Amino acid sequence: MKLINWDEIKYSLQNLRQRKLRSFLTILSIMIGITSVFTLISFGLGIQDYVNTLATQAGTDKLFIMAKSIGAPGTDTSFYLTQDDIDFVEKINGVQEISGMYMKPAEISFRDKKKYNYLAGIDMDKIDFILEASGDLDIEVGKQLRKGDLGKVVLGHNYQIADKIFSRGIKVGDKVLVDSEQLEVVGFYEEVGNPADDANIYVTKEQYELIDPSGKGQYGYVMIRAASDVKPKALSESIQEKLGKHKGQEEGEEDFTVQTFEDAIQTFSTVITIINGILVLIALISLVVASVNIMNTMYTAVLERTKEIGIMKSVGARNSDILIIFIFESGLLGMIGGIIGVILGFLAASTGGSIAAAAGYSLLKPIFPWTLIFGCIFFAFMVGAGSGVMPAIRASKLKPVDSLRYE
Amino acid sequence: MISDYISLSVRSLLKRRLRTYLTMIGIFIGIAAVVSLIGLGEGLRVAITSQFGFLGTDVLSVQAANINFAGAPGQGAPNPLQEDLVDKINKINNVDRAFGRYIGSATIEFRDKQKIEFIVSIPGGEDRRIFERMMNLKTQDGRLLTDQDTRGALLGSNYHTGTTYGATFDRPINAGDKVLINDKQFTVVGILENKGSFIFDDAIMMNNDVMITEGIKADDGTVNIIGVKVKDVDQIEQTRLDIEKLLRKERDVKEGEEDFTVQTPQQALESLNSTLFAVQLFVTIIAVISLVVGGIGIMNTMYTAVLERTKEIGIMKSIGARNSTIFTLFFIESGMMGMIGGLIGIGLGMSFAYGLSYIAGLALGSDLIRASISIWLVLGALAFSFFFGTIFGVLPAIRASKLNPVDSLRGAK
Repeated sequence: MKLINWDEIKYSLQNLRQRKLRSFLTILSIMIGITSVFTLISFGLGIQDYVNTLATQAGTDKLFIMAKSIGAPGTDTSFYLTQDDIDFVEKINGVQEISGMYMKPAEISFRDKKKYNYLAGIDMDKIDFILEASGDLDIEVGKQLRKGDLGKVVLGHNYQIADKIFSRGIKVGDKVLVDSEQLEVVGFYEEVGNPADDANIYVTKEQYELIDPSGKGQYGYVMIRAASDVKPKALSESIQEKLGKHKGQEEGEEDFTVQTFEDAIQTFSTVITIINGILVLIALISLVVASVNIMNTMYTAVLERTKEIGIMKSVGARNSDILIIFIFESGLLGMIGGIIGVILGFLAASTGGSIAAAAGYSLLKPIFPWTLIFGCIFFAFMVGAGSGVMPAIRASKLKPVDSLRYE
Repeated sequence: MISDYISLSVRSLLKRRLRTYLTMIGIFIGIAAVVSLIGLGEGLRVAITSQFGFLGTDVLSVQAANINFAGAPGQGAPNPLQEDLVDKINKINNVDRAFGRYIGSATIEFRDKQKIEFIVSIPGGEDRRIFERMMNLKTQDGRLLTDQDTRGALLGSNYHTGTTYGATFDRPINAGDKVLINDKQFTVVGILENKGSFIFDDAIMMNNDVMITEGIKADDGTVNIIGVKVKDVDQIEQTRLDIEKLLRKERDVKEGEEDFTVQTPQQALESLNSTLFAVQLFVTIIAVISLVVGGIGIMNTMYTAVLERTKEIGIMKSIGARNSTIFTLFFIESGMMGMIGGLIGIGLGMSFAYGLSYIAGLALGSDLIRASISIWLVLGALAFSFFFGTIFGVLPAIRASKLNPVDSLRGAK
């Protein structure tokens, strides 16, 4: 026997249509819940996806050493790695490439307006490696710096856009002051997707040492590429141990940490997942309420249709038939709500995504995999059917004689 | 009259008990969610902002601008404050005392165990008293610093009683113990009282000049923060403007393009507060969605009630009830459902929030997650749920009031 036949579907639809207002309100309530859950999850998945792409682009063979610090990177210069440390690490077995990065907050001024953003000093010998580790970042406009370039600067994407950082967009060839050094803009990087990184200032290592002589030879951040035949995780442990010994620091008391890119991204991605999970949980509360609404509607339906149930039973309907009819009907309520909810959620998330992109957070980009779409609709159906179980049981247990007599 | 309405409403609610319960469940889940989330959010906000523990309304702090939220106050600023500014600010009218302070980080080692922490300086001479009063510094063990303490340090309470020594050190650090700060030996002269703020309770403090002579702060003629105490609190805003004007001139920047901030502690907190508030608002909005769904439940139930009681309404009208009477009747009924649901929801939300903060307190050993539920939140939630009940009851009540008595008596649908 088929569980649900065409007659039952037709019957349910007809019933829902008969009490249009009530069905509409019930569907509305589940729709609201599904819309918010769908929107939040699509953003969460989008960020996950962004992070994963970043991880693949940057590659799994990268590691970094960071000097311990309190606060944001580059602001606390109490601890750092020296050129000697870097030379030492370079000789460790399994280290294929290594580059120390200079980084500090700097003042940039353009046409007498001042802003504060991060300044990075790059070793141009290693530029390909550094760009690869930054997720295949490329020059968008103009040209790249060359080794030993003085008086030249490459800026992040957002400097080109008027009213983003400066009221006028900067063009290749313009002059800017970085910590009162006059530099000529030679190029711009592509958009990274977050306002902090898209406001970075890049100069050669040589230029950086002129801007910040006291920071010469003091690296807060060192990037490493592992050779293809070693495991990055094992390499990070061996660097941690050997460099610690080299610097005369005991285990657990080093003033630096070594991490693989994968681990760092993993940590970040876990945090995002947890935050998104909490938001989705809060949004799920509205689905619980919606399910109570469905239950309410179905109880009322059972009450109203007592006589009908009596007639059906007296002409041979079994308890299980009645049960299925009512469960299916409430499942249908849920599913319709789910379908509309997914459509609305899609619209809401797309709109939200473009607003975020316009604000410079293009990393906040929702994605809509089929599993999410069908998952939400199926879930809505299950919520509906689940909330219909108790009213349906009541309906199925009605005594035919009593129901026929019911007024 | 009004009591008649209420007793009628209660009676009809009780008559269809199951439906009333289910409708109220919808409301109280929403209210419980909103109350507990706002309560926990408030608690977290209070916990975070109290970390700053600044005291006094007569204080201003001057800092060089930096990238937003980067690092400790005044640390790593591209264009730091020059030390000679302190004397110039001291000459401004209404300024009682101005003093420069250093903030940085350092390693602290005790019995072979080591940790990196904030290190802040305490000004010497007559400024010391003012600073100690400003920050309300008191020791629970040992004494405060004096000008003679060239190798002395003051530690926050976490080194003595809190979680810091537990996580890092073998035993609590007491006054009189020797520690290594950046590999140089210092004697701990005192342990501060607990301030409930990780910035203070984890901090290492030493004299201004010691930080320079021991090379913890570079001797480059700059300071991280200038603290200013004013004479007359009522004029603090004028003094703030005066200092801004001075700094604009000294640092050669135009108005509106300042690369520094002059703030009262309250103003500094406000910007942090507004960020936290935005987060809280977002979470609350998501929670309010469930209340809207609950409201729709009320509307649904009320429409059903109007339908079921069509005959009853017809009878009432035919013996003289006016449209407004019928409206009020249904209106009160739905408002009551909202309010009773709200009451239960507030109870549930409060127990959830307090329960969670209690469990978190036991599990994490910190009071960062704590509930702060004010009377205003409770009253607000109650008013809100009544309002919700009535709003969603308006349409069904209008329909009820407009029923034609003759048709209703005939039971026409």
